[in-house]
Amino acid sequence: MRKISEGAEAELYETSFLGLRAVLKRRSKKGYRVERLDTRIRLTRTKTEARLLEAAARLVRCPAVLMVGKYEIWLERVDGTTLNALVEKGSLKEARYCTIAGVAGGYLGKLHTNNIVHGDYTPANLMLDRNGRLWVIDFGLAEDSNALEEMALDVLLIKRAIPVRAYSRFMKSYCSEFGRGSLVLNKLKEIERRGRYQTRSLLTA
Amino acid sequence: MAVIGIESSAHTLGIGIVKEGRVLANVRRMYRITDKGIIPVKVSDFHANGLRATLAEALRKAHVTMEDIDAVGFTRGPGIGPCLRVGQLAAGALSLGCGIPLYAVNHGVAHIEIAKHLGRMRDPLAVYVSGGNSQILGLVEEPFRHYKVFGETFDIGVGNMLDNFARQAGLNPAWGSTVAQAAIGGRYIDMPYTVKGMDFTFTGLLTYAVKLLQKEPLRDVAFSMQETAFSMICEATERALLLSGKRGIVLSGGVAQSKRLAEMMREVASEHGVRFFIAPNEFNADNGAMIALVAEKMAEAGMKSVRGPGEINQKYRVDAAEIGWEG
Repeated sequence: MRKISEGAEAELYETSFLGLRAVLKRRSKKGYRVERLDTRIRLTRTKTEARLLEAAARLVRCPAVLMVGKYEIWLERVDGTTLNALVEKGSLKEARYCTIAGVAGGYLGKLHTNNIVHGDYTPANLMLDRNGRLWVIDFGLAEDSNALEEMALDVLLIKRAIPVRAYSRFMKSYCSEFGRGSLVLNKLKEIERRGRYQTRSLLTA
Repeated sequence: MAVIGIESSAHTLGIGIVKEGRVLANVRRMYRITDKGIIPVKVSDFHANGLRATLAEALRKAHVTMEDIDAVGFTRGPGIGPCLRVGQLAAGALSLGCGIPLYAVNHGVAHIEIAKHLGRMRDPLAVYVSGGNSQILGLVEEPFRHYKVFGETFDIGVGNMLDNFARQAGLNPAWGSTVAQAAIGGRYIDMPYTVKGMDFTFTGLLTYAVKLLQKEPLRDVAFSMQETAFSMICEATERALLLSGKRGIVLSGGVAQSKRLAEMMREVASEHGVRFFIAPNEFNADNGAMIALVAEKMAEAGMKSVRGPGEINQKYRVDAAEIGWEG
């Protein structure tokens, strides 16, 4: 098994599962936490991630769950490049970025309609495959929630990460997909008035 | 250059003297917190009454007189209004009386800078944990050089949570180290654990822990609350470390005096092979030396001094303060 990456809470390995190309995501033990808390966190997060990924797979394009272990999940391996990487390479023109953002907005609208909050909906977790199709990856911070606050935080993350024009396309399809879209937008405005985000907007003003 | 720093943002009045980055004196007087918590007017009285003696002691310890002092710094914020006011007025008076420049310092920046300075760290990830603040920060250059907040508490500071728990559990004195004492030998009970990306919240945990006191022994509750809160901070720190690519961690602020938190954070650093530093306790508690140190850096970098007696800002955010000197 070849290690692909090491995140803050999990390691990813390239592997195969019953002949299928797969990715193994394993939540590693943390030495700083007491055993009981450590076990609880790794167990519940693995379970939640697998459950929400399965639910999400019925709504948007995301890797299929092949098998779930105690602290590990075997996932379908997707060959593609994240939007982040494409932007860094400079191979994503603005018009194309806007079109993709439209698709990404529709995806998030569908997830929110079904009370799935992604928790880290950024260009690093959106992937284009060879056929130009968009995939949503990494549900490691996802939650079941119908709270406007949580949904608005999903939107805030993407708002800060993509160009303004792409964001407006994103919101257009988000709102047409999700009935409470305008309520989320109001919530977002309220969040942006809070201390930390306010300072940030003052800084960039 | 020799600089005096006056810190009075909360329960501690601190006056420190720094010369060319060396701490000559660091005198602190702490208001004893009762079961009613911090009462702003009483604490500001305490600070005002102690000013003269504290300043005299700092000068004596540093073996200098006011004539040797080239600049004075004070805590502009964040902090408790009436308390900040005492330090600002005293510093303003020294500045006007002795004809030396006055520098307004951000309290959070001072905590981070003194730890970086003592640990000779250039550009670490800074974990700043105290009564009123809990933040994970790092220097960024845009749109000007400042400490960007990667993650922070959405409600109260972790120290505030520990103090509040101590009061409700009837511990005396009611602060974090007493909770740590009470937690020795405890067993872990499940508690609410809330990390959202690199941010966290503590009020839900506090409410749960206080309620649990009715049916579980204090030792277990104190232990579990402390472990849960510190683990949350460590997890957020780990994420910020990977995201920012910083090669070191400094832990600072009042709660950095917790041995358990320091031990956990050291573990995070070693798991990722980065340097770790924590300052001696007298510099983690609120103190005047850190204010003097930053005022000296500001003076040397040619940053603007304050005209007139200066002003305070209770909500002076750490990410709004410009860092005019080299990392």
